[in-house]
Amino acid sequence: MDELTIALTKGRLADQTMELLEKAGYPCEELKEENRKLIFHNRDLKLNFFLSKGPDVPTYVEYGAADIGIVGSDIIMEENRRAYEVLDLGFGKCRMCVAGPESARDLLQHHEMIRVASKYPGIAREYFYNRKHQTVDIIKLNGSVELGPIVGLSDVIVDIVETGSTLKANGLTVLETICDLSARMIVNQVSMQMKTQRIQEMITNVRRALEDR
Amino acid sequence: MSDSNQDLLHTPEGLWDHYGSDLREIETVEDSILGTFHSFGFEDIKTPAFEFFDVFSKEIGTKPSRELYKFFDKDGSTLVLRPDFTPSVARCAAKYFMDDTRPLRFCYEGSVFANTTSLQGKLHESTQMGAELINDDSIYADAEMLAMLIGSLRKAGLSRFQITVGNVEYFKGICEAAGIGGETEPALREYISSKNYYAAEDLLKSRNIAPKYQETFLRITNFMKTDEDLQGVLVSAPNSRAAKAIERLIDLYRVLADYGVTDYISFDLSLLSKYQYYTGIIFKGYTYGVGDAIAAGGRYDSLLSHFGKDAPAIGFAVMIDSLMEALRSQKVSVPEGEPVETLTYTPATFAVKLREAGRLRGEGRRVQLVRG
Repeated sequence: MDELTIALTKGRLADQTMELLEKAGYPCEELKEENRKLIFHNRDLKLNFFLSKGPDVPTYVEYGAADIGIVGSDIIMEENRRAYEVLDLGFGKCRMCVAGPESARDLLQHHEMIRVASKYPGIAREYFYNRKHQTVDIIKLNGSVELGPIVGLSDVIVDIVETGSTLKANGLTVLETICDLSARMIVNQVSMQMKTQRIQEMITNVRRALEDR
Repeated sequence: MSDSNQDLLHTPEGLWDHYGSDLREIETVEDSILGTFHSFGFEDIKTPAFEFFDVFSKEIGTKPSRELYKFFDKDGSTLVLRPDFTPSVARCAAKYFMDDTRPLRFCYEGSVFANTTSLQGKLHESTQMGAELINDDSIYADAEMLAMLIGSLRKAGLSRFQITVGNVEYFKGICEAAGIGGETEPALREYISSKNYYAAEDLLKSRNIAPKYQETFLRITNFMKTDEDLQGVLVSAPNSRAAKAIERLIDLYRVLADYGVTDYISFDLSLLSKYQYYTGIIFKGYTYGVGDAIAAGGRYDSLLSHFGKDAPAIGFAVMIDSLMEALRSQKVSVPEGEPVETLTYTPATFAVKLREAGRLRGEGRRVQLVRG
């Protein structure tokens, strides 16, 4: 049996993923213990798990440091790394949106030069340049992107919207939806060829667990 | 050394120095691969490191323009550092062997350049060794190239690897049968080649493609090991173009069996390349310990016509840097060649030692003269 290494996105996504994997027959007891370890094993099933920051998951998978990764589709789009995207896990659902004050809606209609703040400069560029054909100035921020339009740094923002309550609390609204997002399973291209049987089997088991929910 | 000199020590991002045992290992591996190419009667070819932009343009279909290193010559023509050898070799073959109809066999070794995104850990200059077989469109040519690739990887010291073979014509065949064209085709191609089943399914549903074709497309991602698996797909081929693509793979498998290399072969009909010039069979080599393919190739029957010679051809390239990474992580020991011997001299003994060094060098030994 080939050994499999799985990269998980730290936080709530990891908890939801492990719940699903356990149901599919890939549990990891070590992960449930409170400790500061970085890598966890299920030696009986020859599985290794590790937790990492979301944007690093596709990197680990692309280089083959992990065979499989579980990560949000926002990050797959932003990082644009080479890996097979094999399953939509259905949880972690949200939307990638253009948001701003209601007054900014008009700025999106006429190919005007505007400023866009985002944690996702890649997605913002792709959307405005290739889909809207609007020239924009993109400013990369690392958090609390909603501040951008409030303090006058940018006209609009591109960010993930789950419920919209943070936007609302700050007087912003969703102006356009770029795409729907959810958690995905990605697979290293080489692992898919070299460990075909084990990975295909895992995909089938996880898919079945998803259908049972 | 002063601080100001230290700034000069860096190479640009994505470029590495090679020296010492690292370089000796690379050379040993390259020699064994080149030896295999030569044993199949392939002739060395050397093309310039940069060429006119048009040789690598969008119509030819290599890397996207923004990933090319471009600059201008005195006349203002755009020049490109080669991102890929195949168009160069095709140009060269069209130029010097325009009326030749006999099979032409070329092999090469050298750097390719890619101006890729920064901080992704990708090499901007990497070494490729490859071969091209021109003027032969038979399955025997396909099998010869695959067998030679397998032979050279084994010679390089690799034992556990896999060559995955597909046929671009199969995908094109089902697209034709299902009436898929225009913008849908490249999108579907992207999803299928990244094994993104559910995005492909959504796309097919949204385009109202008949359910029986949807199923054919989704089954394309199954892996197959033998010609029997291929027979299974052949039965459900939707038109003669798709059927011919599968028949070709079945015939190819038979010739590969004669070469005795089928253990290294598997089939994946969703294998499609970003390089648009591939027209028929297409393949990639994979092994443990490296996240990238170690070899890639395929048939490009219309590429030479861009250069005025209508000739079928097939070729592949071995990515030497990925191969070395794989050999190292699989702990394959690569012989480093003859060790260096040292002879110590003083002004008094110099003449004697020089004669001795001359004699040893004559025997093919490697000798350094060092002042004692």
